Amino acid sequence: MRIVSAADMEKVSRSGLRKIRPEKPRIAVGLATCGIAVGGMRVYDRIKEIIGEENPDIELARVGCIGYCREEPLVNITIPGKPLVILHRVTPGDAEEIVRAVEKGEVPVEKALCRIPLWDHITGCTQEYGAGFDGIPRYEDVPFFSHQKKVILRNSGLINPEQIDEYIAIGGYAAALKALSGMAPEAIIDEVEKSGLRGRGGAGFPTGLKWRIARNAEGDRKFVICNADEGDPGAYMNRNEMESDPHMVLEGMLIGAYAIGVSEGLIYIRAEYPLAIRRLQTAIGQAREYGLLGKDIFGTGFSFDIGIATGAGAFVCGESTALVASIEGRTGRPHPRPPRLTDPGGGLFGYPTDLNNVESWCNIPVIISKGSEWYAGIGAKGNSGTKVFSLVGKVDRVGLVEVPLGTSLNTIVFTIGNGGAGNKKVKAVQTGGPSGGCIPARLFDTPVDYESLNRIGSIMGSGGIVVMDEDTDMVDIARYFINFAASESCGKCVPCREGLKHTLLILNKILAKKATKKDLEILSDLTETIVATSLCGLGQTAPNPVLTTLAYFRDEYDALVNP
Amino acid sequence: MIQQEIPGKPITVTINGKEYRANEGEILLSVAIREKIEIPHLCYEASLDPYGACRLCMVEVVRKGKREMATSCTLRAADGLEVLTDTPEIVKHRSILFELYLAEAPKSDVIRDMAARYGVTRTRFLKRIEQGDPLGNKCVLCGLCVRACSEIMGAGAINFINRGPYTVVNTPYYAPSRDCFGCGACVRVCPTNAIEMEDAGAERVMKSWSGTRVPLSPCECCGRYYAPRELSASVLARLDTPLKEEIARLCPECRGKHIAREEILAKHGGSAKHA
Ligand SMILES: Cc1cc2nc3c(=O)[nH]c(=O)nc-3n(C[C@H](O)[C@H](O)[C@H](O)COP(=O)(O)O)c2cc1C
Ligand code: SF4
Ligand code: SF4
Ligand code: FES
Ligand code: FES
Repeated sequence: MRIVSAADMEKVSRSGLRKIRPEKPRIAVGLATCGIAVGGMRVYDRIKEIIGEENPDIELARVGCIGYCREEPLVNITIPGKPLVILHRVTPGDAEEIVRAVEKGEVPVEKALCRIPLWDHITGCTQEYGAGFDGIPRYEDVPFFSHQKKVILRNSGLINPEQIDEYIAIGGYAAALKALSGMAPEAIIDEVEKSGLRGRGGAGFPTGLKWRIARNAEGDRKFVICNADEGDPGAYMNRNEMESDPHMVLEGMLIGAYAIGVSEGLIYIRAEYPLAIRRLQTAIGQAREYGLLGKDIFGTGFSFDIGIATGAGAFVCGESTALVASIEGRTGRPHPRPPRLTDPGGGLFGYPTDLNNVESWCNIPVIISKGSEWYAGIGAKGNSGTKVFSLVGKVDRVGLVEVPLGTSLNTIVFTIGNGGAGNKKVKAVQTGGPSGGCIPARLFDTPVDYESLNRIGSIMGSGGIVVMDEDTDMVDIARYFINFAASESCGKCVPCREGLKHTLLILNKILAKKATKKDLEILSDLTETIVATSLCGLGQTAPNPVLTTLAYFRDEYDALVNP
Repeated sequence: MIQQEIPGKPITVTINGKEYRANEGEILLSVAIREKIEIPHLCYEASLDPYGACRLCMVEVVRKGKREMATSCTLRAADGLEVLTDTPEIVKHRSILFELYLAEAPKSDVIRDMAARYGVTRTRFLKRIEQGDPLGNKCVLCGLCVRACSEIMGAGAINFINRGPYTVVNTPYYAPSRDCFGCGACVRVCPTNAIEMEDAGAERVMKSWSGTRVPLSPCECCGRYYAPRELSASVLARLDTPLKEEIARLCPECRGKHIAREEILAKHGGSAKHA
């Protein structure tokens, strides 16, 4: 069936709603890569074994992930008229008890993490699940969730990512319908510009402005690309966005393509994300079936389709010019800009190209749906909206954290993350992945926004936050990141290729207690040159872990070197 | 892709406080070369697209009182462009880059002399010396040979292998290349004279490229082997001159003698084809 009108959409939406909230109880297992890794699939299989293939009384479903990694596997229970209940740390051994309780219209209270009587999907309906189960804490009282604001992750873990109907049921593709059938392309770009959205891939370039440049670029053929390379160690926001809510990415791209005037889109994704690739493929197939991709979308005459290009997972292939080279089948090596991707001659196969990060695209439907004013009201001035961070390392509550930009590191690490794991003292965090900096705990009142992080020597990057505790050796941390960057360097320019190698050799020498004060001088001279002279962002930012640990943890270096 | 250069309108750029004429859009490094202003560079070649890999050609661009570093081989001349080539900042970073090159290509005289000209005579970094390196520990990975081979000659016989600090240039899988014309374009563009090539009888041996051997054709007059066989055929196919036949059969020396003889013959009533 093709969707061409609001009435068609309504019909699909009703069918989706019946899947999310069937008339019978539903057990939904969180099955993103993370949930599967800790045994979610075994839980799913065991429940299926108990209730049988087609159970007239219980619906069994798969959902994405709500992002509380520490508490996985997570299972949602919806009993008609009752709040949605999230069970945590579920094992196959719990399956029997869960099914028996659900059969009686109950939930195993001691396994419950929280209950959700009401959920605002923001772009669409507010789901009123119902009242009851008062003994179970409310979602907003769970410390890990209470300071979060889920805009991007509004559907993650609550809908089945392999069912387009469920996405449509909670307001999905309504923004696309509104944009394509009721807004001029320029008006959409204005809206995105006014929202203040900045690129979530790391550099924070205003998304609306990039679209405008791409729209105005000379060219009879153009492309939009979604950057899903996500190569930072410890970062997995994009993976979860694609695995848990793939249609949100597609809808964002559809709206962007219409605004820029493009009919061809590509998602460049690392081959190490097989589940995300599969779910995107499924989603693209379903969207085509409904006529949301392909020719004459919504009967507006606008055509757009999306293909998937897989990369071999080289970190540098996330860099825009290397990414394009990789798609074209050339070696993933950056070239000097200009020409930028949006310039004629600079993009994919030489055509003007707009490249945005997965999460940048994810922001689009909600901006169009709620309006730029609503969106700009979230976050800080010049840094509007929310950002998803992966909070990992030596922190008590590991997980995906979505907060308004401008939230302090204190809130993220202590209030949400509950400080160090095992009651250890937190010493520092590394933001921005291998290209970021180590920020000492005494600077944790820093608001997390693009400029504030730069000011203290780090970067936003794609959103990884790695926590280090009192036992972490900061020189060793610097070595870890330099080793990563050196082996991921493409090898084109000398400061990065040779400079990082020698940085690593010097750090090894320091850690082996064979270095002198002179070596520290060489280290700081060398890293400054790498920053100043490297060709691409990889080399320009790779020394950050050394520069920041030298600035904030100099005593640890001094203790290792001979005079 | 080699972009066609259309000379832009005449403009004025300022280098180290002095004004120079240039064409709009012209590569700043080529303006500097023309005006004999010294900027060190290893990976620039006028007939190839800007590449920006060696980073030695960095200059400071002065814009609204602020200074910003940029590679002069990718910088395009625009009216009023102002650059400085020897600021303390540039000197500092350039010296470290030279130190890195001295460690990377410790056997290269070219690098040693070039670094010395900029006051760098030793390196604080560990020198890389690899026994049996096909490029004699002289390669600085400027990429000129790879680009000349594929972009100018269209052969694509050599490429980068590995990445990061393990990057090297050679033939795929270090196997003798079947795509190599033996034209020696790589040898000619290499700034550090790292590539070894030798003519041995009826063959040309690309010693650095995994022992690739290319057959040569002999001169019909003196019998000396003088040009790669494959290459002559493909170059001749593109050639349109009455001299075609002489070129195909004779080495440059004999060709000269032959033409002179025909010339004399023509003057004395004989016939010459290439009038
Ligand atoms: C070494 C390197 C790796 C990068 N990796 C990624 C990545 O994995 N994902 C991403 O979206 N952007 C990455 N970027 C940034 C992209 O070059 C580009 O700025 C971004 O995709 C633009 O999208 P945005 O404006 O939506 O942020 C990387 C940049 C560099 C220099
Ligand atoms: S900075 Fe590193 S990754 Fe970037 S072009 Fe240079 S060598 Fe390649
Ligand atoms: S062999 Fe010569 S031309 Fe080729 S990359 Fe090395 S230095 Fe450059
Ligand atoms: S548990 Fe799913 S993202 Fe962490
Ligand atoms: S000549 Fe400019 S970077 Fe090499």
